[in-house]
Amino acid sequence: MPPAGDELEYFEDGEDLNFDGVLAEKHRKKLYQVDYTVQSAKHLMGSQDKEVGQVAVILGMPKEHAATLLRHYRWNKEKLIERYMDNPDSVLRIAGVVTEHVRRIIPAREISSPEHPFSCDICCDDDEDSETVAVSCNHRFCRTCYEHYLRQKIKEEGESRKIECPQDGCKIVVDEKTVEQVVDKNTHLRYRELLNRTYVDDNDHLRWCPAPNCEFAVECHIPSTSLTTIVPTVECECGHQFCFGCGLPDHQPAICPLVKKWQKKCEDDSETANWISAHTKECPKCHSTIEKNGGCNHMTCRKCKYEFCWVCMGPWSEHGTSWYNCNRYDEKSSHEARDSQTQSRASLERYLHYYNRFANHQQSAKLDQDLYRKTEKKMEEMQQTSDLSWIEVQFLKKAVDTLTQCRMTLKWTYAFAFYLSRTNETVIFEVCDVTDNQKDLEMATEYLSELLEKPLEREKIAELRQNVLDKTVYVKQRREILLEDTAKGLLENRWSFFVDLK
Amino acid sequence: MSTGIARARLGEERKQWRKDHPHGFWARPGKNEDGTLDLMNWSCGIPGKAGTMWENAVYKLVMIFPEDYPSKPPKCKFTPPLFHPNVYPSGTVCLSILNEEEAWKPAITIKQILLGIQDLLDDPNPESPAQSEAYLLFRKDRPQYEKRVRLQAQQNMS
Repeated sequence: MPPAGDELEYFEDGEDLNFDGVLAEKHRKKLYQVDYTVQSAKHLMGSQDKEVGQVAVILGMPKEHAATLLRHYRWNKEKLIERYMDNPDSVLRIAGVVTEHVRRIIPAREISSPEHPFSCDICCDDDEDSETVAVSCNHRFCRTCYEHYLRQKIKEEGESRKIECPQDGCKIVVDEKTVEQVVDKNTHLRYRELLNRTYVDDNDHLRWCPAPNCEFAVECHIPSTSLTTIVPTVECECGHQFCFGCGLPDHQPAICPLVKKWQKKCEDDSETANWISAHTKECPKCHSTIEKNGGCNHMTCRKCKYEFCWVCMGPWSEHGTSWYNCNRYDEKSSHEARDSQTQSRASLERYLHYYNRFANHQQSAKLDQDLYRKTEKKMEEMQQTSDLSWIEVQFLKKAVDTLTQCRMTLKWTYAFAFYLSRTNETVIFEVCDVTDNQKDLEMATEYLSELLEKPLEREKIAELRQNVLDKTVYVKQRREILLEDTAKGLLENRWSFFVDLK
Repeated sequence: MSTGIARARLGEERKQWRKDHPHGFWARPGKNEDGTLDLMNWSCGIPGKAGTMWENAVYKLVMIFPEDYPSKPPKCKFTPPLFHPNVYPSGTVCLSILNEEEAWKPAITIKQILLGIQDLLDDPNPESPAQSEAYLLFRKDRPQYEKRVRLQAQQNMS
């Protein structure tokens, strides 16, 4: 049987068949996916050059000056051009650009005369054999001093986009071309690196991959205003998946503002809430939180002086003399007291419900790193004990990858669900939708996890392989369904949250 | 600016200063124990501008040059410490042109530094307070501030 992919392509080639229903849908971008490109350092240089080139042509000036202007306007081409057309002089002045042509490097001999020998204002040297450097402002210094100055700015201060002329008070920016001609190769490399860094930092459509030692940047054109309706997860060349909006590891389906709130809440609350829940009860009357640290069951609230029983939470007046042994647990008044307590604790418990599940998946995902190592061993074992080849045992690694990914998604569904408001009836229906999808994915994920943890039985390898393959495909599908549904809901504004997303 | 240019530059600065310097100022390198010139430590005097409450006085200041001068600026310190919002209790002057990460440029001369500090005397920068006493009076009790400045001028009469 040919793999499913072949079938798809066959139909896709014949577009005029008018199969725009089911099949076209499969190849379409998923709702929870966004367009992006990964850029290497080389790419970044290319894009800068391209933009600089365009602006240089439009404004009719050398590239190095166009570059200084663009950097000043944080690569906002439209704004720069608009302002420049309006008032070129002021734009040039505030960006520190003088467009007049000047010979950058001139031997000292050429500008010296017997009456006025050239002398560098920094080192006071008047050696006629030296070279001099100046940018368009024509503040000229000897090359050695200029180079030292630039090297100090670049290597020690990490400056790149706005290095001013060494003259006192002069705001003219030393352009890229001058830097290139004056400094040594090594310093220039560092300079380019710093420029690339500011290019990405200044550009709203670019973000560095946050993975350690990764040198790629991602370009994505999702505006920050869309972050309440879409989670722009991107995958870097290095394999790291992260959110373009906030730079955190992939947190689909929860949107950035919820993630931020949730993380803050967990930092502040989770430990305290856990402790309160485990060790305290509330006064049935004024709801003060009380920790019982000794003594009998006859409680008197410090705050409101209400007297109650610690065991059944009912009023003490009905207890008579059974001080140490409450037998009124099932009486009506005790029930009522406990019910009201339960209600007031519900919001705390509700939070802990979501938090514990969130934390559980987080922990499991961490443990999956061990599973990864174990799986690698298993894959070796399989190759030795069965007739499966290297490529045929890769399914295990794929399964672990899928498992980790599903755990990440599941983890964030809990934060997402925590913030869903459940006030009106339509929403309640939708909430069930989320939880159903969540439950399906969770069950499938745990099942796959169990399969992967099982020890290898030589006779059953073929069976295990089929089983794992099937389950991997299944959980992948469940994850897609869940993400697709939540993403759709976000776009349609179907979810309402009980927190302000601004 | 290879190493060792600090002394060459300071020698030249001294030459220029002797040729011509603004009225009322003085600036000279210190002396080593063996009687030779110590170009890395200068003592200077800055006159208060005429027509301001700093007038008729000269304020003493030392300039300490680092080995990597003029890549790095000299440290300027009033001795004794001065009552002024932008002078630290130690006497060190807080001024943008004396900060390498702000407006310091290797081409700034000793003359420009001293003139810059003279300007600062009567025109303090409330954005970067360096001592609380003068700063608070300057912000909250101007008459008392002026009184203190005039008293200080009397103590430093030229």
